Amino acid sequence: MLSRVADSLFWMSRYMERTDSILRMLKINHLSSQDNVDEFTWAPVLEIFSYLEDAQIKKIESNGRQVLNYMVLDRENPNSVFNMVTLSRENARAVQDNITKELWQSLNEFYHVVRDPRLQSSLQHDDPVTVLDSLIRQCMLYYGVTDITMFRGEGLCFMNIGKFLERSIQSADILDVKFRDLSYDLDKTTDTTYWKYLLMSVSGYALYLKRYQSGFEARNVVDQVLFNNTFPRSLMYSLNHLHRYLERLRSNKNADGYSRVDFMVGRLRSRLQYSNVQSVSQIGLHQFLTEITDDLYDIGSTLNQVYFAYG
Amino acid sequence: MASSNLYQNYGLQPSAIWDEMFDDKAVRKHYEGVSHFLSSMPDGELLKKEDLARRLFMSQGITFTVYSSGEGIEKIFPFDIIPRIITASEWDFIDRGIKQRLQALNLFLKDVYHDQFILKDGIVPFDLVYSCPHYLREMQGLNVPYDIYVHIAGIDLIRDYDGSFYVLEDNLRTPSGVSYMIENREITKRIFPDLIPQNHVRPVTQYPTILYKNLVALSQSKASNPNVVLLTPGIFNSAYFEHTTLARLMGVELVEGRDLVVENQRVYMKTTDGLQQVDVIYRRVDDHYLDPLVFDPDSMLGVSGILSAYRKGNVAIVNAIGNGVADDKAIYVYVPDMIRYYLNEEPLLKNVPTYQLAKPDERDHVLKNIQKMVVKKTNESGGYGMLMGHAASDKEIAEYIKEIQKDPRQFIAQPVVSLSTAPCYIDGKVQPRRIDLRPFALCGPSGIEIVPGGLTRVALREGSLVVNSSQGGGSKDTWVLSTH
Repeated sequence: MLSRVADSLFWMSRYMERTDSILRMLKINHLSSQDNVDEFTWAPVLEIFSYLEDAQIKKIESNGRQVLNYMVLDRENPNSVFNMVTLSRENARAVQDNITKELWQSLNEFYHVVRDPRLQSSLQHDDPVTVLDSLIRQCMLYYGVTDITMFRGEGLCFMNIGKFLERSIQSADILDVKFRDLSYDLDKTTDTTYWKYLLMSVSGYALYLKRYQSGFEARNVVDQVLFNNTFPRSLMYSLNHLHRYLERLRSNKNADGYSRVDFMVGRLRSRLQYSNVQSVSQIGLHQFLTEITDDLYDIGSTLNQVYFAYG
Repeated sequence: MASSNLYQNYGLQPSAIWDEMFDDKAVRKHYEGVSHFLSSMPDGELLKKEDLARRLFMSQGITFTVYSSGEGIEKIFPFDIIPRIITASEWDFIDRGIKQRLQALNLFLKDVYHDQFILKDGIVPFDLVYSCPHYLREMQGLNVPYDIYVHIAGIDLIRDYDGSFYVLEDNLRTPSGVSYMIENREITKRIFPDLIPQNHVRPVTQYPTILYKNLVALSQSKASNPNVVLLTPGIFNSAYFEHTTLARLMGVELVEGRDLVVENQRVYMKTTDGLQQVDVIYRRVDDHYLDPLVFDPDSMLGVSGILSAYRKGNVAIVNAIGNGVADDKAIYVYVPDMIRYYLNEEPLLKNVPTYQLAKPDERDHVLKNIQKMVVKKTNESGGYGMLMGHAASDKEIAEYIKEIQKDPRQFIAQPVVSLSTAPCYIDGKVQPRRIDLRPFALCGPSGIEIVPGGLTRVALREGSLVVNSSQGGGSKDTWVLSTH
């Protein structure tokens, strides 16, 4: 496969994963803002998912509609849904001969949805959950079409590697931002709705209720998001899958490059596998998450050197 | 309610114009099926069909992107929903005519780049060839596989007042539009279900298969599965949709110049498994940008050293380089003579009478009668650099004449040819608009094949004679009927 094509598929998939993750997070934050008796702030969301300066965050943090507009539609926000869908679709456009027509059309339609001027007005005036749900449904279509139509080849491997790399980063980031509120103290007790919304924003609420029946505890939440291998957004699950798709790229022709990436992913996987909440709290959650995300970014740049370099 | 008055605004044409659908009083036989179908539609239904077509083009991404103020806007190449219909016998004539013409043009290219008999025998003047900017000395004496230069040709045909076909121009470099031949048909299948089988229309879907077969045949590699690629200038090119469609339909890799590299006079593409050799390149990049070492040194679209690999025979390039010398508008004048010279046959398809402004007597005649002329630059295409004498202002004419006098070789003139009209659905009414026809011919080692159909371009503006998409033209699905 052409290096440029692999690169585009990887990024097409990463942008969609990030879009999906951000949309879910926005939806749950909105719901959570409706529940709040004290003044609700969007500041943690803006700090982690945007590049705004503190002063700018201060300006809009308590205006939910304005934050939604910024995160979904603002052309100036590089992480806005609008920009990510556009980028994902541009990547897809450049590799149309390597994806199915159905997949191209699903992204192309999503692109036309986010460009529709009506979206802006409904985000301002209608129920935000309905609007965000309609966008999340576009992501679901993308995942479904990918699963049902994409050929099981190298291209899909690069898409999945991108997807699980991005998902690992997103899950680590969401955990980090939420625990920052608690100064990373795993023993601090807080209102249970706080945990409920965190888990909902990573679609992990139902699983939590079944798995950890002792009520809401910070340690259990960390356990689920980091280590639970049945939870599709946990770091463990995402890394296992990343590794699984990487292994399919093993070939004699690029053996050296492959081993470099394989080594990094394997090492990170082992690290997670042989850690638990106990050991994490000894290092400190923030420190642990920072180290993990640094490793994830390193994997990204090594993939770039090994497979995508075509300049 | 049936809209029996669908055609009431269809002003019947003066006899100086051939209409594809109507003769003096009635609907021509081969249009009866479609005519009946359209009249039986309830009011407002055609508007819905038109809207459906637009949405299908948009959602399938059959668009080109216009970049303005940093943001891309998706545009659709305008599509008219009423198909253009060609009878079996008309097609048979077109098919034979184009094959004959292409055979001669191919022989001409081989001759010009080798022995130059046709120049030595005084049929085509030496200076006309050597002054053509698309004549490339780099091709002199170079052998190309199977002596085929023109693998893909788009020959533009128009019809005069009596319905006879004329060749307006030969496109032998990188003719575009074939994806619209294919996609327009797909859209018709969606907006008018069952209409195509009812009318016994011949299919066009085989085009990519034939093209791929021809491309594979050019490979000099011993490998059973030669590596064929399509080279595009990239995502910003207005024909990018076509490049990606053809690559997808043929199952070949779509590459950009930056994906390729030349080592030891072989062309390789950069893959996730390292370098992989390329055997055949269907390029949609113009000669001029192909190799910065030989042609434009600033080109970012080409591949350094690709010409050396080509000269060595290590890669086949389609179409051949230097074909522009055969579709130059001044050389066009000599195509009928080429047919007589190489094939010893009378040309089937006529040329439009053409004056060469490099010849003083012809130039005088044109300048005196410029209101009745279309003046064109010999090496421009796409409707650029044209003067329509009957529509231009005195000032425009005066300025254009100045240009002509600077370098008359760069200009030809033709009397205004009327172009036939076909019914189009515009603003909720059926109205006549001027059309042309570009069938696509494929030449391979086993001969020339022309897929029954083509691109019908429409001048959507009322009264306009210019069908080019850059000048407000659109297109139609083009039906060739079978002899059932």
